[in-house]
Amino acid sequence: MPQTPSTNRSAAEIASVLVVVQASLSLVAGLSAIPFAIVEPGFRVLGLVTILMAAAMFWLARNLRRGQRWAWRWLVTLEILSLTMTALLSLLPIGTIRGPVPVLVNLAIPTAVVVLLAAAKSDARRAA
Amino acid sequence: MYDIALDHAGAIGAALITLVFAFAFVFGLRFLAARRVAWAACITHVYEAAPSITKLAAALMLLSGGIHLALVPGHEGTTGVVFLVDGLGFVVLAVGAFLTTWWRRPAVLWLAATILAYLVWVIAGWETPDQIGIACKLIELVALGLLMRLANPTRRTWPRRLWRAIAFPLMACVTTLGIWVGGLAHPDALHAHAGALLQPVAAVATPKQQAAAAQLLADTRASIARYQDPAAAIAAGFKPGPVSKADPLRHFQNSANANVILDPNRPQALVYAQTPHGLQLIGAMFQMQRAGQWGPDPGGPLTQWHQHEGICFSPFGIEFSFETPFWTCPIGSTSITTAPMLHVWIIDNGKNGPFAADLDKAVQRELTGRS
Repeated sequence: MPQTPSTNRSAAEIASVLVVVQASLSLVAGLSAIPFAIVEPGFRVLGLVTILMAAAMFWLARNLRRGQRWAWRWLVTLEILSLTMTALLSLLPIGTIRGPVPVLVNLAIPTAVVVLLAAAKSDARRAA
Repeated sequence: MYDIALDHAGAIGAALITLVFAFAFVFGLRFLAARRVAWAACITHVYEAAPSITKLAAALMLLSGGIHLALVPGHEGTTGVVFLVDGLGFVVLAVGAFLTTWWRRPAVLWLAATILAYLVWVIAGWETPDQIGIACKLIELVALGLLMRLANPTRRTWPRRLWRAIAFPLMACVTTLGIWVGGLAHPDALHAHAGALLQPVAAVATPKQQAAAAQLLADTRASIARYQDPAAAIAAGFKPGPVSKADPLRHFQNSANANVILDPNRPQALVYAQTPHGLQLIGAMFQMQRAGQWGPDPGGPLTQWHQHEGICFSPFGIEFSFETPFWTCPIGSTSITTAPMLHVWIIDNGKNGPFAADLDKAVQRELTGRS
């Protein structure tokens, strides 16, 4: 099939796209807290922290594409932390995971990112 | 807040079948190619030559196409035709990703148009946002993100780079906002207010149910009259909830009554209004133990239980917001669904009535000075 050289992407490239998706969803969550932050002081902090985290994830995704090892390490840590929190919260009877959307957002995408990051590392080792 | 619409449930099966079919197709092609079947070897070569990002984008478009086509029988008129055209378009583009050089731009336009059309449909009230629709938009957003990464780097001028940096987050924000607006502007019959799901009940109360509801109100009013003074409630084991600037009502909960079911003498919580003159007892709250476990409703539609869904709850006080349609909450808070509850308002609750999920806005304003 005809392809330009620019379309030859790796697992890290796909992982970075998924991280951008996660960062965008975090950004939306942070922005959505703003109306509530008007009357709930605690949400001012949570909303701001979430927006900053989203910005950090955009930055990590960018550096992952550039092959920075520290970005890879930070993302693995964040994704595993996220999956662990989801697993713990799903044990509580609070309906954290109900339906396909939370399964995709909280389980499928973080798992896919971890798998892709692992694949990217093995690709890099093979290349070395 | 977002459930799975009954006429959309089949889409989950369609999505799984599409994935299994796609894997089986690729496996079958490889099998035939290994046995030197010429056409299979040719198609396998084309498929293997494509980058992983193209394969994934094609798979996601195929998945979205399968979901749309599965929804055609449940949607009549224009919506059904749009789903059919959309589904076929995704299938054609998914196949075209391996056969053409020009597929990327039409695919980007098709994905963006599909997402925007969905927003138009939900905002207009022609479609109720549910988890299948939202999951489908998430799949399309991921596919869109992948296609945006396939853009030609030789044309990365600054305006293009800036646009590429903000386009995807902007699309995610617009999608979220649109689904939110649609859901809030056109709630279904079982959503009393944003985040409250009502117990399914009959439309009209029988005379017997009307009498039972009146009895429940009278018994509750008589029982909790002893707690007019909050100090008496505290002495009886009710613990005051935290003060919130957002909510002028305060719930005093008694964990000793957690296992009791709709006993007017042992409610799970008392509700006080924060008036300019101090706390005023305005009602009781009965609560079940688990989410989805609807309580007995002696008054039928008059005593309809409700549970709160899609709330981002923070352990740092009783602060909360609504989760996004993509089930995300601000960091430090988590999505929760409460166990079903039934309020019994012992004051005149205006047009909402004595068992409503919410205190009537006018009554609340009169009591607390806040709406």
